[in-house]
Order: sequence, then structure tokens, then C-alpha cells
Amino acid sequence: MEVGQMQRRLVDYTKSLFMEGFLDAQFLQLQQLQDESNPDFVVEVVSLFFDDSEKLLNDLTMALDQPNVDFKKVDAHVHQLKGSSSSIGAQRVKNACIAFRSFCEEQNIDATLRCLQQVKQEYYLVKNKLETMLRLEQQIVAAGGSIPMIELGF
Amino acid sequence: MLEGKQNGQVFKLPKVILLATNITNVELEKAKAAGFADTVIMKPMRASMAAACLQQVLGIGKKRQAGKNMLNGSMALQGLLCGKKILVVDDNMVHQRVVAGALKKFEVAVECRESGKAALKLLQRPYCFDAYFMDIQMPEMNGFEATHPIRMMESKANKQMNGGMDEDSGRKGEWHVPILAMTADVIHATYDALNAGWMDVSKPFEEAKLYQVVAEFFKSTRSNCFT
Repeated sequence: MEVGQMQRRLVDYTKSLFMEGFLDAQFLQLQQLQDESNPDFVVEVVSLFFDDSEKLLNDLTMALDQPNVDFKKVDAHVHQLKGSSSSIGAQRVKNACIAFRSFCEEQNIDATLRCLQQVKQEYYLVKNKLETMLRLEQQIVAAGGSIPMIELGF
Repeated sequence: MLEGKQNGQVFKLPKVILLATNITNVELEKAKAAGFADTVIMKPMRASMAAACLQQVLGIGKKRQAGKNMLNGSMALQGLLCGKKILVVDDNMVHQRVVAGALKKFEVAVECRESGKAALKLLQRPYCFDAYFMDIQMPEMNGFEATHPIRMMESKANKQMNGGMDEDSGRKGEWHVPILAMTADVIHATYDALNAGWMDVSKPFEEAKLYQVVAEFFKSTRSNCFT
């Protein structure tokens, strides 16, 4: 596949992530921060998000698995996850965290367990999408092309 | 950034910029009373917002000529912010990285710390930062609690300077610590906070102006992505 085609594919794929609500405008901010002096910014921040999230999801699983659930602790973890997902524009994860927090407040164990599943699902979905997108970018760069900027009129 | 001589010194204390995802009215009242924050930034930090707000609190914008074309804004801003030293305090590592990235874009020297406690350790060698970006909601020590020692240092030094005022210079200590609070709950934080005394009295912060600056900045960055 030639570079132009790859670029078009990337643009379409990225746009679909916005249309489907996986990503929001904050992600564009990250892309804008990437340049020659900071060529791997997006990959770095996204990787940090992955590491951070996986740790938090583990902590959440453990916290909700306790005989006496400490909802304050659970809420603190969800708060962190909400912060990091919102920082990279992972909208659906962020929204799942918002719902999660309200159930933490209610100290509703069944609902919070369901929320955890929901957050995990959204996380793995967006992780998959971002990895695909980053792979497409790598292929373009490897073929000597540049990564096109997305203008979505936000 | 330390300026000035022994007597009649003009110090520039670091500006404190608070970051928060949520701010309750209780917290706002605290901030009001303490006079901590000067302005509020919504989390997550948008790249252009970081620089624009920094520019505003550091009073850099005022040096620009009236009617200067905003399309050159990002270039001018880069020049003006270049070399400034900022401390970012945020317990969320991802957000910290985004803020640092936004500031580095303008060749600002950025230090990051994960907690108020860790940040305060850096105060022991004072006046080395031009600004602090501080998260409000951190577990052990929140943003307000962390800025308190900065304020104390400020007023103490003010008293010292005013006490030992050189008669010739006639300069009073003017420790100025504008605070930008970042919050997702921007409506509460911004309007209440800005209107109700978070702003430094000597340099009133005009909310409309801030938004104008930021809005224009957003406009300019659309066509001129941080070149």
C-alpha cells in the first residue's frame, strides 16, 4: 500500500474514533503537542495511560473483592482513572468513570461491580483502537510519510 | 526567577496555578478567604490554554502592542514564555505529562511533582520558579493546603522588605502569586472564584479578558498549529 493510501486510511480510522465517541477533542490537543522536537509525544502519553489504567483496574478489582468494600478507596481509584482518561480524550472511559463514581457515593456494591465491568470494557475497546491507530501511524512513518493532522472543526 | 538587589528589592514570587477536576463551593470559599487563586483552568489542560493563561498571569500580554495581529500570537508567546520555569504539581501522572508537554511547547522549563508535600520541598530553595500549576484535589495535601506555605512565605518576605525599606528606593515588597485553578467544574470555579476575590487585589484579573485572550489564542492556533 502506498503512503497516500495509508494516510487516507489513518484519517478515516481516526475520524471514526471521534464519531463513535471513543475519543474527544482532548485527543486532538495531544496530537497538536507532537512535533519534531517531541515526535513521540502521543505514543508516550498513551502508553502512560495504558500502564496507569491497567494498574488502576487491578486495584479496583481487588478493592471491590474485599469482604468490606472501602468505597472511599474505590472512589479514589476511579477518580484517578477519570482524570487520566479525560487527559487523553478517552471519552467513553471517562463517562463510565463518572457513572461509577455516583454508585460509589451510594455505596452500592452490585452497581459498582457492574460499573467496573463497564469501565474495563470501555478501556479495552479504546486501547485496541488506539493501538491500531498508532500502528497505522508507525507504518506511514516507516514508509517515509508524515502523519496527517486531523481537522474536525471542534 | 530572582530579580533585584539587596535593598529595595523587587522580587517576583512564583505564580501559583491550581489544577482541579472538581471544586466545591466549600473549597472555593476557602480559596476566596485565603486569596490563593487568581484564575481557574479547566482540566484536562488544553495545550493552548496552558500557555495563554500563563501568559496572562505573568502579565506578559500587557507588553504586547495594542492591535498586534493575533496570528503571530503563538510565535510572540513562545518568545515571551521561553526560559520561564514552571512547577507542575498533579497527582495524576497522565495529566502531569500533558501539562508538561503543553508548556514545553513554548520552551518553558518544566518540573513535575506528584504531591503537595514533594512540591513544598522545592520551596526550600525559593524563588526559582516563575509559576506553579497546582492540582486542587490531591490525596494527602490538596492544592489549597500546598499553596498556603507559599502565601506565608510571601507575606513574611513582604513584611521583611517593607520593614527594611530603603528610603531612596521607596519600594514596597510586592509578592505576587497569581493562582490558576484548573477544574472540570469550570462554571463554579471560574465565575465564583474570579469574581469573589481569588484575584490578586493589586492586579485584578479580568475574566472577560482571560477568555478573550484564550479564545483568540484558540483561533490563532487553528490555522497556525504551534509553529
